[in-house]
Amino acid sequence: MASNGSSEFSHPVVFTTQTAYPLPTQKFMIPASWRRYQLSQLVNKALSLDKPVPFDFLVRGEILRTTLGEWCTEKGVGEEETLEIEYIESVMPPQRMTSLPHEDWVSSVSCQEPGHFLTASYDGNLRLFDYSQKLLQTIPVHVAPITSAVFVQGYQSDDADTRLVATASHDLTARLTEITVTQADPSSSKALASLHLHTAPLTSISSSGTHLLTASADGLIGLWDTSIPINDEVPAEEIPSERRKRRKLDGDLESRPKRKAPTSVLKSHTARVSKAIFARDGGKSAVSAGFDSTVRTWDIENGVCTNTITASAKPFLDVALPSSAQTVLAASTDRTVCQYDLRTGSSTITPHIASLPHPATPSCIVVPPSGAASVSEHQVITGAYDGIVRLWDLRSEKSAITSFKTWEGRAGGRKVLTVDWAAGVVGIGGEGGVEVWRVGEGDRLPSS
Amino acid sequence: MQSEDEGEDGEPEEDDGQVDEFPEIDTRSDSEDEDADSEGGADEEDEDDEDEEDEADEDESESEFSDDSLRIFPKSTTVVSDITGQPKKVYPPIEPDYDSDSSTEDAPNRVGNVPMHWYDDLPHVGYDINGKKVLRPARGDELDKFLQTIEDPSAWTSAFDSKAQMDRPLSSEELDLIRRLQENENPDSQYDPYEPTVEWFTGKGKEEIMPLSAAPEPKRRWVPSKWEKQKVMKIVRAIRQGRIVPNKPKTASDKPQFYAVWDDQPSEQTAPLPAPKPRLPTHAESYNPPEEYLPTEEERKQWEETEKEDRERDFLPQKYSALRLVPAYDQFIQQRFQRQLDLYLAPRVQRTKLRIDPNSLIPKLPSPSSLKPFPVYKSLDVVHEKGRTRCISISPDGNWAASGDENGVVNMWEVVVGKVVKTWKFKGKVGAVEWCPRTDVCFLVVATEEQLHFIIPPNLPAALLAATQALLAPANLPPAPSIPSPVKWQSVSAAASASDSPILVVNLPPSSGLPKQLAWHRRGDYLATVASGEGQGGVWIHQLSRRHSQAPFKKVKGSVQLVLFHPTKPHFFVATQRYVRIYNLAEQKLLKTLQPGIRWISSMDVHPLGDHLIVGGYDRKLCWFDLELSDKPYKILRYHSRAIRSLHFHPTYPLFASSSDDGSIQIFHARVYNDLMTDPLIVPLKILRGHQVREGLGVLQVKWVPRQPWLASAGADGHVAVWCS
Repeated sequence: MASNGSSEFSHPVVFTTQTAYPLPTQKFMIPASWRRYQLSQLVNKALSLDKPVPFDFLVRGEILRTTLGEWCTEKGVGEEETLEIEYIESVMPPQRMTSLPHEDWVSSVSCQEPGHFLTASYDGNLRLFDYSQKLLQTIPVHVAPITSAVFVQGYQSDDADTRLVATASHDLTARLTEITVTQADPSSSKALASLHLHTAPLTSISSSGTHLLTASADGLIGLWDTSIPINDEVPAEEIPSERRKRRKLDGDLESRPKRKAPTSVLKSHTARVSKAIFARDGGKSAVSAGFDSTVRTWDIENGVCTNTITASAKPFLDVALPSSAQTVLAASTDRTVCQYDLRTGSSTITPHIASLPHPATPSCIVVPPSGAASVSEHQVITGAYDGIVRLWDLRSEKSAITSFKTWEGRAGGRKVLTVDWAAGVVGIGGEGGVEVWRVGEGDRLPSS
Repeated sequence: MQSEDEGEDGEPEEDDGQVDEFPEIDTRSDSEDEDADSEGGADEEDEDDEDEEDEADEDESESEFSDDSLRIFPKSTTVVSDITGQPKKVYPPIEPDYDSDSSTEDAPNRVGNVPMHWYDDLPHVGYDINGKKVLRPARGDELDKFLQTIEDPSAWTSAFDSKAQMDRPLSSEELDLIRRLQENENPDSQYDPYEPTVEWFTGKGKEEIMPLSAAPEPKRRWVPSKWEKQKVMKIVRAIRQGRIVPNKPKTASDKPQFYAVWDDQPSEQTAPLPAPKPRLPTHAESYNPPEEYLPTEEERKQWEETEKEDRERDFLPQKYSALRLVPAYDQFIQQRFQRQLDLYLAPRVQRTKLRIDPNSLIPKLPSPSSLKPFPVYKSLDVVHEKGRTRCISISPDGNWAASGDENGVVNMWEVVVGKVVKTWKFKGKVGAVEWCPRTDVCFLVVATEEQLHFIIPPNLPAALLAATQALLAPANLPPAPSIPSPVKWQSVSAAASASDSPILVVNLPPSSGLPKQLAWHRRGDYLATVASGEGQGGVWIHQLSRRHSQAPFKKVKGSVQLVLFHPTKPHFFVATQRYVRIYNLAEQKLLKTLQPGIRWISSMDVHPLGDHLIVGGYDRKLCWFDLELSDKPYKILRYHSRAIRSLHFHPTYPLFASSSDDGSIQIFHARVYNDLMTDPLIVPLKILRGHQVREGLGVLQVKWVPRQPWLASAGADGHVAVWCS
């Protein structure tokens, strides 16, 4: 510090952190010309860590990218004011791992199955890739575009390699399909049931292991269990249509999916429901967001809406629940991803916490997978229609920590439609197919 | 007088150069005597004059005596000395009597030359030589004084002595002095004004022989001047040549040289007002004013910025430490020039300054940020690979959009994602695409050359699909109308229908051309088409439930550009190139003709409430009509730089959008009040740019997304964009 010369100004600074590397509460005099690198070195020296840990520094909710003096002059902060700087472990620059080309747009990617990627495309097929970019299976599930696909966790089956996949589609149904992840034979998959409720294209499906939630453009949310009925619960529509003919053909087979009815229907939204997800309390409640600018919390057992957060003129496109706090993140078409507090009742005041501005429409949010020790719980990844995926820290809402461009060099649109994050791997699906990036999983920590 | 004569006589003698004896004292003394005599005579005469005025009975002797008594000093007598034989002056001896001693005088006031009013309030008037008080003599009142003047004959020659505080008669010397002063004579009685000259340095025997300087006498003293000769010769020559006339003949002017100045009649006009006096200079005009008069920096700046005529003062106070440091007056020339113009009565332009704040002319509009939401950015872009997209339509539920281009391709795509899920290909250009506004059925109509295609989108719920099929391809056709129509309805049976091909095709009469516009009635049963073809067969109204088409107009003046159904009333708007006519369909008559003043109408839309209509033209104008108000536009807006192509009111939000060939879309806030007294509020909100201009064509159609403040636009560059808030 002394080597920086006495002519420079120094700022009194107090460091705070929520990481596992706390500094003693003490005021430091930091020269104004210091940048992130010097600050990070200071923290490392003060902690005398064996292996250097790079840190990023948040000054008043903003990541320090310039020198401290420049930041202060930009914000008009006097030299005497004590700055409280929070430091977080910095994120390694994301690395592009693989690219899984698709002919059509990819509406959903799932990385939840270790070693595999499941993609759902607008051509109505599910595709299963392994980590070596090899296409294992192409499963035609729907004739219409699939909008969402999830693995149903905890599916009990005879075969250990069998998984249950739920898909939602434009053809007004969701389907439960059993696939075998190890085999490369598409015939090993079996359509078990089709879920009939909605009268408009489905927008999302999510699963809690035992239950499924479907959201649709008709404003309804369907709640389903994952059991496969023996008989059709919904009578087949007797309409002279092409689809019926195809079903007739399918009906001859034994593998004809059973028509399944919802356990309950959650009705409150007045417009298209963009996403409905289960909360982290073991499937007792759910959160949904829709084009009526509301985020609703549902009591699933009773099927009632318990809390409504009403924003003004924010048609929501996606919703996500961060792992820790009782907050919800919702992406809306006014180019923001907003964080709302769920604990407040349905008061007139919108419990707005933070707002992450985007230059284009943010289409999807993903929160870090629970149990990933290396990833801070404050981080969140958003994908937008401009083809850029951004990694945010919720404590720094002014600008993203890091961002990367997908499908560089592709002519035409590069809209990102879906992002999934599991164990350091981020799968991005959209107009250009699927790209897989390594984010946040640095080599800086010894893998435990 | 004699002496004077003598003097005169004497002087020529002197001039004659006769040398006289030096002492002329004799004559002098004689004349002195004579002088004295003459003086005495003069005195006598004076005395006589005075005596004649006052006392006529005084003797000459008395006057002689009085003449003696006038002398201050004792009078000398001239006697011939016995010794020298010369006359000498002899003074009388001083007699040592009481008169010669001043000590015998009664105590004179010795107070000195002090103002005597110091003693006004005291009983004495001063002190004598012994320091004793001199008491104020008793003075009578005014009557006593008057009586005294009557009694005392010398009262008129007495004056008040302030030291003695009493009247004292003036002495004869003093009276003589007064008299001399009155007659403007030398007050000294001894003065002789006619003293003979004493020649001290001139005269005979006293000539200057030695010159004063040794310089030789200059030549000019005796040589005649050549220069003078030249001058004289010049005059002589002029006289000879007649240039100088000795007696110039007088011009025969009878005009009198002198005239009576005051002869004219006095002027009837009122005398001119005297010029107002200029204000006296104050401290500010000083060359060294006090500090508080000096202008501050802002005042100086303000003074310099204001116009010359508007300035409160025409100068700025300036401070100089000394008057010699004050520079020349810099306005001198200008002021002189102005003054000359004033005197010359030069007319100068009176500049009437506009005293209106330009900001006050801008209407007070609410700020656009308070009128959110409205579309601000381009969220999605759907590309038609070839050809310009002419038309776009959004499904009534707001989830789907259909866009058609000039290659006959119609794309159906998700409004939120922008993913094309279905594509239809038709022969020829697609002129218009419209979704049916009904919610119990779902289909869209595509207009191509002389044909209307009714298409059922994929992925419909079974009930909706069945209802739509039942409407478009009913099992039992309604009875054919009695009059055969040139429009043919051909439908595929419901069983054979698929979403790939149209379920119903309406064939318009041949050579009707490409339908440019499709207009649905809000109930979704009637569909009006406007074809671009020549002739009267341009406008057709199709009724779906009866599968019947009719041409509402037998003959239309002008070529029909657009038609519209009124949202609430059975009214029908028909726009020709210049006029908009409103027909009542139920009564089948013309209600009103609107005159927008546009040369060629390109677009038209009616407000969802039905009382307002906007009309756009190829000449860039947009007219807002209040249908209950007038046939003339309530407002004419001209803000696009190229022709307006499309207009659309948002069905629920108070917004409308206009697109133009300049590639821009403009969003307006248009609030219409139910109160008839309040004018509609039109606020420009946003200009959306992003479409390219291709071959002079910009954005060809804009449509609002129902339920959301989003806008979909189709451009000539083959791009269809969704603009989100």
